[in-house]
Amino acid sequence: MPAATPIISMRGISKRFGGVTALQEVDLDVCPGEVLAIVGDNGAGKSTLIKILTGVYQPTEGAIEMDGQALSMNSHSEAIELGIDAVYQTLALADHLDPAANMFLGSELTKSFLGFRYLDNGRMRVEAERVLLERLGVRLRSMDVPTESLSGGQRQAVAIARAVYHSDLRVLVMDEPTAALGPQETARTLKLIEVLREEGLAIVLISHSLDDVFAISDRIQVMRRGRRVDVVHTRQTSRQEVLGLIVGAAEAA
Amino acid sequence: MPVSAPKGLQERLDPYLAIIGPMVMILMILAFMGVAEPARYFRLSNLNIILLEAALYMPLAMAMTFVITQRGIDLSIGSVAALTGIIMAFAIKEFGFPAWIAVLLGIAIGGIFGLINGLVITKFRVPDLIGTLAMDLVYRGFALVLAKGLVLARFPDLITDIGRGRLPGFLPIPVIIGILAFLIGAFILRRSWFGRYSIAIGSNPEAAEMTGIAVDRYKVYAYVLMGAMAGLAGVMLTGKLNAIQATSAPYFNLHVIAAVVVGGTSLFGGRAYMLGSFAGVLLLSMMINALVTLRIEFFWQSVASGVVIILSVAFYTWLQKKDRDGAKGLLNAFTTPDNIKLMKLGGVLAAGTVVLLVIGSLFSTGSVPSG
Repeated sequence: MPAATPIISMRGISKRFGGVTALQEVDLDVCPGEVLAIVGDNGAGKSTLIKILTGVYQPTEGAIEMDGQALSMNSHSEAIELGIDAVYQTLALADHLDPAANMFLGSELTKSFLGFRYLDNGRMRVEAERVLLERLGVRLRSMDVPTESLSGGQRQAVAIARAVYHSDLRVLVMDEPTAALGPQETARTLKLIEVLREEGLAIVLISHSLDDVFAISDRIQVMRRGRRVDVVHTRQTSRQEVLGLIVGAAEAA
Repeated sequence: MPVSAPKGLQERLDPYLAIIGPMVMILMILAFMGVAEPARYFRLSNLNIILLEAALYMPLAMAMTFVITQRGIDLSIGSVAALTGIIMAFAIKEFGFPAWIAVLLGIAIGGIFGLINGLVITKFRVPDLIGTLAMDLVYRGFALVLAKGLVLARFPDLITDIGRGRLPGFLPIPVIIGILAFLIGAFILRRSWFGRYSIAIGSNPEAAEMTGIAVDRYKVYAYVLMGAMAGLAGVMLTGKLNAIQATSAPYFNLHVIAAVVVGGTSLFGGRAYMLGSFAGVLLLSMMINALVTLRIEFFWQSVASGVVIILSVAFYTWLQKKDRDGAKGLLNAFTTPDNIKLMKLGGVLAAGTVVLLVIGSLFSTGSVPSG
């Protein structure tokens, strides 16, 4: 079982866009070394919730605590500085750049010559190769090709490597990581997530695939219509129960 | 070092893709001119003319490579060059500025015009095509207002040296400036944040935004560089002709875009080839020089530039297409339902035009002199 003290706790989060209430009084806790899956139908508020967690949106009401300290983030880059990052479904890769350039996009390594700083492509390449191999156990077909020529799983590994390169990364949000992948690559991605969990990261996984959720998660948070319906331990529940919670059948019955 | 898998042909070819296109066309021009007009085309003095012509476009093509890589375009560079040339000329002639100050002033003011372009595009959210086209009118208008139809001529030696001077026993000075611009451009593209982010922005603007790149700021940088290089081109043009007027540099924009695109830099963003742009500039200058050598009218140059743009974009798009299955020969391509409809439309238009021509000639009353 994961450590009992949550690294992140969100309390009473509400978010309104004009007249539309996307989230209402939602709580979320995630502990280090744990995979928390968030499931729910389309429009249940999953994406809004993680966008608040990653600093993209600011909550209308509610508070976020990290290690018991109140947290306020005004942008995604502030969240990254605090050690909260996300891997998006679209991966946010620049397909024409090589994998190393993508991995360091926005935080390039540099060297300087006579006080003049420029990009250190060689070191970025070596570091990228090292991080991919050591932390994710992935070896790319080639480090010199444009990222677009890699397979879906390898592209994903690059995107994940970008997030985990920051050594102070503590919370990783993964938005539909397996949605565009085939069975083999899905399995490989799930293995990656396991590796990251072993390293003590807190992982928030959003997925429509209950197969993946049951394969990897420790706890499942079910959302419906902007509310948190329930949080269940994966080992003590069943697909039927979770499915019932998602569609609201359990409540009606 | 971990071993990487053996590279495929496509992969090995890719870095050189950019210069293969222009190189093939350059060879074609050389072969054609070797048959048609070898004596006049392959002369040292003619080579000099080609290089001098190309040099003017080199700094422009370098900067345009960044702009196009970011999925942008700048149609105002001709007017910026003319206007900065005129401002520099006024600084020297009316206000007696030292020549070197006037040169730097020209480049700086070009940069300011570029800044204005960039702000129009990023702050007012005017699409780059319309924004720079409109600013083209503005700059050209100011040039006309300032110069009042005058030709400003006879400049200090520094200016003419920049435009057409020559280091003894070596290359002309403008060619050195141009090559230097490309070398710096290649370094910036590969080794600076600006270059890296330009590719990222053109490749995937949303991703660039999400990784925390200040997309708008780097777009403005590209336009400032473009403007400054247009200012430099204005100085070089003034020096080359030892004269400047408001209507100078009319087709700079399309000529430079043609050179960059023929060099393999993608109009759809993300693909930058500095070496290709260099080859593209040389190719266009050789082509235009060939047209002149063959005594073809000047006005055909504009036709040639346009055709080169279309052909090279179409060629590179075709080259990028990975899936070639299903296209079972040319005949099949012509007989898809959509294409048949298009052919019918074309047929109707052609028939209508022919009918109009026939009726017109039936009722013809002989030629009417217009003046």
